[in-house]
Amino acid sequence: MQNIIEQIDQVAKTYPDRICYDYLGSTHTYQELKTKSDALSNYLKQTLPKEGPVIVYGGQKFDVLVTFLAVVKAGHAYIPVDVNSSLDRLKVIAEIAKPAACLALETLPEIDLDLLVMEQAALKAQMNNTKAVADVSTYVSNQDIFYIIFTSGTTGQPKGVQISHDNLLSFITWMNQTFPKAFSQTSLSQAPYSFDLSVMDLYPTLVNGGKLAVLPKDVTANFKDLFSWLPQLKLNTWVSTPSFADICLINPDFNAQKLPDLNYFLFCGEELTHATAQKLKTRFPSAKIYNTYGPTEATVAVTQVEITQDILDAYPRLPIGICKDDAQIVLLDDDGKDVALGQTGEIVIVGGGVSKGYLNNPLKTRQTFLTYQGRPAYKTGDLGRFDAKGQLLYAGRKDFQIKLHGYRIELEDVDQCLSRVSFVNKAAAVPKYDQNHKVSQLIAYVKAENHHFTSNFQLTQAIKQELKAVMMPYMMPNRFVYVDELPLTPNGKVNRKLLLKEVNGDA
Amino acid sequence: MQTTILDILEDLTASDEVRNNLDLNLFETGLLDSMATVQLLLELQSQCGIEVPVSEFDRSAWDTPNKIIKQVERLS
Repeated sequence: MQNIIEQIDQVAKTYPDRICYDYLGSTHTYQELKTKSDALSNYLKQTLPKEGPVIVYGGQKFDVLVTFLAVVKAGHAYIPVDVNSSLDRLKVIAEIAKPAACLALETLPEIDLDLLVMEQAALKAQMNNTKAVADVSTYVSNQDIFYIIFTSGTTGQPKGVQISHDNLLSFITWMNQTFPKAFSQTSLSQAPYSFDLSVMDLYPTLVNGGKLAVLPKDVTANFKDLFSWLPQLKLNTWVSTPSFADICLINPDFNAQKLPDLNYFLFCGEELTHATAQKLKTRFPSAKIYNTYGPTEATVAVTQVEITQDILDAYPRLPIGICKDDAQIVLLDDDGKDVALGQTGEIVIVGGGVSKGYLNNPLKTRQTFLTYQGRPAYKTGDLGRFDAKGQLLYAGRKDFQIKLHGYRIELEDVDQCLSRVSFVNKAAAVPKYDQNHKVSQLIAYVKAENHHFTSNFQLTQAIKQELKAVMMPYMMPNRFVYVDELPLTPNGKVNRKLLLKEVNGDA
Repeated sequence: MQTTILDILEDLTASDEVRNNLDLNLFETGLLDSMATVQLLLELQSQCGIEVPVSEFDRSAWDTPNKIIKQVERLS
């Protein structure tokens, strides 16, 4: 494959009548995808300024996919902005990106974006101009930027990760080699397009002539709809966050008998827990389950490992796998030197797939992007170590690293140890800082399992007793706070920032 | 039963509004989302001993504290 867009065109020529997009029974063919994106790209070339990325505003709809392709055929990068985004986010992205235009496939909120806006009706009319022919010479290729995805930006300004054609090609080539049969049939398309997990199903499926089966947010939000649609999609390949699989697992009918065509599960976006993977393996014994890992800055994912029963038996915390061929993972210490084999260091991704940096943000780009032995590299802020078998093990976030009495402690390590205690359902460790910004105490927030103790004191004693067996003494929390539920982020992870505020106030 | 359910809801939503207004729409207000709904169903199972048939779970029948109480009474 030389060019991703030409490859998708080629699929349309070879299999014009094949269905590429199935939105709850409303289907579209590859021919339609090509004809409409050709037509719109022609119009965009005539009307858009020559330079600048293009915001595409919309949900998980066929017209949005057509517009993505039309934009890259016209030689521009696209910026997907989800219809559920806040007004502020849209504004901030427009300010940072200085786009050539905003193509609105849904009604835009009433704001003055101070830029060229094309509305849905006009765009649709242009898509249906069947006389237009695409011009391959303007297609995004090589080092040209293909898409720009903005990070969620938990603090301050969001950052626009620029992914080039060759970054994306590196990712797709690896996907094709690793999962040769997974994307030529029917793939789940559940993640919104503004989340780079969606790229994991979108492009591998399109270059292989497969079908994208869309599960939009309003269906997944209502379990009755979700569980009535799931069997109808006849999925072969599942791509989602582990959290979405957790939602589906509450239905006992989410199993191989009811979904017999489902052969592949690919997970990315957050840690795949042992519990989730084991449940899935039990429900779908012959399906292949893969854990993958990677930041948006290195194009979706760069490592993978099949979670077999052997892996489940050998690893209480699942590995994130082996790096793809055209990239390399190095683990660096705080001074930027390689750590010794088996030691924990910051995961730095080198080579194929690594973005050239954040759009219009040289400062943040310099902080996390570097050159390592002549190749582009990205410092993830994640910690990892390699085990004897060469598997990369995730070891938490660098920013959740604390020092207590001189000892270096990973808060997520403490969480892991806590979660192994029989009386603990879920737990999170939170540091309490003194006036000098040093950690004075480690506090464990615990959601306990049902127990027979008559006081919290007794429960704490029993937990500590079990903890002694699995953790270093210096990691032992000083205080235990029992809660009925831990606060979660919108992504379903424990909201440690909220707990930090509770413990330390806003300072 | 009602107290248990409201306790669960208050914990999940981190808001005591669920006690003050039993007709509050939990989804429209953003107090509950899909992940929190999963938690809710698991809590109802462990604390109230009821199995909710999730394939029948229609959000509009579970979107206020009052409706949830009614559903749990129906299922227990």
